[in-house]
Amino acid sequence: MIALRDILIFAGLAALAAAVIASLFPVGEGVSAVPACSDCAFKLTGGYWIRQYGNYASFYHGTREMARYGWAYIDGFPLSIGEVMGCDSMYVHVLDGVAYVSCSGVSPTFGGRVLPSAPWAVEISADPSRPGCTYVIDAAVNESATIQLYVYDESGRLVYSASSPSPATFTFSLPVAGTYRMRIYAPPLLDQWYTLQARVSITASKAAVYTSNNTQDLRSSIALKIFDLTNYWKRGYTSVTVHINPAGASFTLTAPPNAFADYLLAWEDCRNCPCDLARDLYKDQVWRLTFTPSGPVLTRIHSQGGYWHEVYADGQLIYVWKKNGPRSDRYTGSDPTISVRFVSEGSEMNAEATFTKICTWR
Amino acid sequence: MWSAAYGLIALAVVAFVTLYAAMHTPSVTSANLADQLYNAKKWTAGNLTSLPRTDRRVHFAVGNNIIKVWVVNAAVSGRSFPVQLPTGYKLAKNDSNLLYELYLNVTSCRPATLHGGAAATLYVVELRHSLDQLPWLEVYAAMPRDSARYYSWLHSYYTAWGRPPAVGLDPRVGADVDAGFVELVKAEWALVHNATSGTTMLYAAAPPSALYVLVVDYPLAIPLACPPRS
Repeated sequence: MIALRDILIFAGLAALAAAVIASLFPVGEGVSAVPACSDCAFKLTGGYWIRQYGNYASFYHGTREMARYGWAYIDGFPLSIGEVMGCDSMYVHVLDGVAYVSCSGVSPTFGGRVLPSAPWAVEISADPSRPGCTYVIDAAVNESATIQLYVYDESGRLVYSASSPSPATFTFSLPVAGTYRMRIYAPPLLDQWYTLQARVSITASKAAVYTSNNTQDLRSSIALKIFDLTNYWKRGYTSVTVHINPAGASFTLTAPPNAFADYLLAWEDCRNCPCDLARDLYKDQVWRLTFTPSGPVLTRIHSQGGYWHEVYADGQLIYVWKKNGPRSDRYTGSDPTISVRFVSEGSEMNAEATFTKICTWR
Repeated sequence: MWSAAYGLIALAVVAFVTLYAAMHTPSVTSANLADQLYNAKKWTAGNLTSLPRTDRRVHFAVGNNIIKVWVVNAAVSGRSFPVQLPTGYKLAKNDSNLLYELYLNVTSCRPATLHGGAAATLYVVELRHSLDQLPWLEVYAAMPRDSARYYSWLHSYYTAWGRPPAVGLDPRVGADVDAGFVELVKAEWALVHNATSGTTMLYAAAPPSALYVLVVDYPLAIPLACPPRS
């Protein structure tokens, strides 16, 4: 027992002496040598520090110089001449004699991140030439997550919802013109709101668009009255009566099934006819234009008048009055555009309107 | 009793000295960046054909190690079949001391005239490289020896695989072994760095009949095709 104690004490003292003597030796011969190499990587712990000189950088332990390298870079930045720097655990990479030192506690890597990687991405596209407004939403997040999609209409009702793992592609169709809010949700990275607008844009000459009755005599400037009925059907009316002239002449329309948008077109053929004929104003050609899932449909409701008329749809003569020619009561166009033109003997009341389905987002 | 105590103290002293010496000895590992870079590129080259491909921009924008393709219709003797044209790459590979990242994206293709007056297609490629250097960069143009034969050969792979083959990329269709149908000729190229935007563009001029250009960061060879003009 005593012999073991003596051996241990002697071994301890011998080791201490060896460590002290070794630390007094110059570089490369002690236990704590700093490698002098041109391309290597190592870790230094303890009281090491670096001083940058004009043409080299020295690694010191205490006051003892351990190794020299061409230049020292600390966490990517070069030391300036005379600068001193040290940290407790140092990762050193030597490349071509230049020391790259990391004090962040992890081994430095070469090469920065350059790939343009977004945490999430959303791309929206819309196709008005398909039924309603058909939107295609591409969404992806930079981790495995489920992407949820909600679409709300103007009164906050949920009209569409879906979920799919990222990357996801959603396709849905907005059946009725209007403004919608869409939320794309994949917590915690992605929570975006978008406004989708599905509508029909009207460009017209000698015409005006109304959203309720209009009984005025506007013949000096307006030959064609366009009544937009879409909102009535959206609010759940089953039928609507539209008054169109000073005498209160009216047409009653019933709700169309699955219509994207619905219009009543009331046209007057004569500019200077006497005003006691007020009950006949804006009744010479009355047509209805409905955007159905299979395309825009033009149907005739009423015709009268002393002049001859021609009705064109998409540049094609479809109906004549008091004249020889085609007499179609119905015309089906193709999405997303239809143009309607009314022509009469008194050419000053010729009117034209183009209806184009538009699907936008922002 | 006292012997045991002395023994323990002596043991503690020995343990301290050993630990202290061990902790303060630098642990040296060799860090051969050239080898690591080569291995990273070799790994990428070996996995290039099996990386996911997408024709959707958002999927390309989000993911890494992903290839952007355009699906176009190729026609051969009256039959039309889809082929994929690779037009963008986001490649990343970590090695122990190295992060190898390469971003290639064809931003446009336009007709150009070479110095000698020959017509060429100029590939404008956005290039980002994590190591700021491409010591081995070479660009080749893949010229079909007989384009009709090339496409009917592609069509046979389309019928065999039941999916669109990727021009220059798929094994047995790609740049590796289509040598019987395709000849690789050196293309003129230039790297232009825009310091204001920090982007680097690779301009490569290939003959107009080239199927694709092959950007070589040896041993990695990356085929890039022209997106269809819209």
